[in-house]
Amino acid sequence: MRRLLLVAGIAVGLLRTASVAQEASFLPNRSGSLKFAAIGDNGTGEQPQYDVARQMDQWHQHFAFDMVIMLGDNLYGSQGPADFVRKFERPYKPLLDAGVKFYASLGNHDKTSNDTYAPFNMNGERYYSYVRGDVRFLVLDTNVLDGPQLEWLETILRESREPWKIAYFHHPLYSDGGRHGSEVELRVKLEPLFVKYGVDVVYSGHDHIYERVVPQKGITYFVAGSAGELREGDLKRSNMTAAGFDRDRSFLLNEVAGDDLFFEAISRTGVSVDHGVIHRRGTP
Amino acid sequence: MRSAWRDALPYYPLLPLGALIALVWANAAGESYFRMAQALAFPVNDIGVAFGLASLAQEVLEAAGPDGTLPSRRHVWLAIASGVGGALAAAVAYAIYVHLAHEQVLIQGWPIVCSVDVFFGVAVARSVFRRGASVSTFVILAVVSDIIALVMISWRTCVAAADPTAWSLILIALLLSLAFRWLGARTLWPYLLIAGPIAWVGCYWAGLHPALALLPIVPFFPRARRPLADFDAHRHDRSSVTHFESLMAYPLQLVAFLFGLVNAGVLWRGVDTATWAVLVASLAGRPLGVLATTAGAAISGLVRDGDVRWRDVSVIAFIGSIGGVFALFLSTTVFPDGPLLMETKLGALATFAGAPLALIVARALRVGRFAPDRQG
Repeated sequence: MRRLLLVAGIAVGLLRTASVAQEASFLPNRSGSLKFAAIGDNGTGEQPQYDVARQMDQWHQHFAFDMVIMLGDNLYGSQGPADFVRKFERPYKPLLDAGVKFYASLGNHDKTSNDTYAPFNMNGERYYSYVRGDVRFLVLDTNVLDGPQLEWLETILRESREPWKIAYFHHPLYSDGGRHGSEVELRVKLEPLFVKYGVDVVYSGHDHIYERVVPQKGITYFVAGSAGELREGDLKRSNMTAAGFDRDRSFLLNEVAGDDLFFEAISRTGVSVDHGVIHRRGTP
Repeated sequence: MRSAWRDALPYYPLLPLGALIALVWANAAGESYFRMAQALAFPVNDIGVAFGLASLAQEVLEAAGPDGTLPSRRHVWLAIASGVGGALAAAVAYAIYVHLAHEQVLIQGWPIVCSVDVFFGVAVARSVFRRGASVSTFVILAVVSDIIALVMISWRTCVAAADPTAWSLILIALLLSLAFRWLGARTLWPYLLIAGPIAWVGCYWAGLHPALALLPIVPFFPRARRPLADFDAHRHDRSSVTHFESLMAYPLQLVAFLFGLVNAGVLWRGVDTATWAVLVASLAGRPLGVLATTAGAAISGLVRDGDVRWRDVSVIAFIGSIGGVFALFLSTTVFPDGPLLMETKLGALATFAGAPLALIVARALRVGRFAPDRQG
């Protein structure tokens, strides 16, 4: 009986913690700021993905993010019309109904033809760019990072006048994930451009963990590849790990306000597992 | 196995050294390695490899020419059919694996598994069979497979970037080579210094891999006969400057070293779907395809039962599973630098496992030097 009470007490405590965490978000939630969520490796169509989606919807009630950036592997397994419903439209229905826009990048499990799926807002392009508020978003296809894509990226970066530059794509340039880790061969191609043209923040997935990397050459890197899949215990912390979470699924909330980007990583149960603020690097 | 390496060394003396350095370097200090590899990729893979492929084409052409020695016509046709069947089965196995793994983005890599490492394969074949029709059969099978792989890769890029001006340049290079041949040029320099660069620019422009640039010119090179089963038999006799491999002996060694250095640097943790797809397609798909084609030829009456030595064919089928350096090269033509290329390269390197596999099969079936009458 005493054990039962203890378990019940712990459960209540955890629920309260989750509830308190939601209410006491570290995000300033300022009016007029750009708010967005980030999810990666989400499209399993299984219960954990639905749990994360539900949690995102709950947070959206008081932190009304306008958009979600998708870091690839948006759909796992078969990718027929029914799969788009089960692995995307149904779990995120409350957000889609609320007018939240999703902007996808392609992962290694995504069909290339998914770039024509309207709710992904890719307009048939496997790599593309768009502006929201003060932010220039650059969406890359790291499955095939070929010459034309790199030329396009440099042109966009050179011509971009927005104060913030945020890039996202599937394969992480820096990661302490044990399964994949840093994609060094991509890093030597992309990092020089990011540094030269003042990219501030980079989001990736692929490793099924959450990790925030200590700024590298002034750029903050996030790995957020556990919004559906999870590789529990796969984070091999190193001196480049600023924070990490590999015990449950998670997603990331972000708010760009002036020269600051506030972020908060939320677990499937609604617990805040990391938070902080990134100051804009400024034009190089 | 040791004798296979010994036989392969004349072709790859510095390649394993370059590959070894690359492997250690990439896994110890990845960033500096990949920076170097990406800087050298163009001169090595797009220019240097053109000479390597030309050298291979020259050797095969001399062996297959009117003065060369070939097995019987029936064997030649069977070897060609086996090459096609093996390549087809490997491609199908690759596609099935990728489909089941739900990584459609990898599907474009199927031509990679059509390739066979001719040089290393010949070395393994000779270590099993010594000389004779089985080695020749393997060479034909391998060359047919490589031609299929190259044509498939080139065809896709050509369709994407068809340009009549580019094709005109390739045609001009061919006509110039024809003229040099007609004028009786006894040295390779006009072919290499005039026709070669024109063909290279044409290929580059047309969307063809520029490493293929010298292939249409090679048939016009001055040639000498050589036996196919032993196509390096007179390597040391051919000191004439009219011989491509004699002229290019040292530069080709440098190219081989740099090729290993630039392309073989893979991270061990890069093993993923494409690695297994290449491995399964090469080690299982191709041997099955070769055996099935041979069986089909026997059943349909195209070859008589007496023409086929099943035990030999089984060993040849496994030797053909070595994509090796050729698969490594083709990987770089299909995927740009990135995780997919890394996975594929690991698969290509892993196909060297086909060599011990072939030797095990040869020993189990008592083929070649493992035959009872050849032992003791």
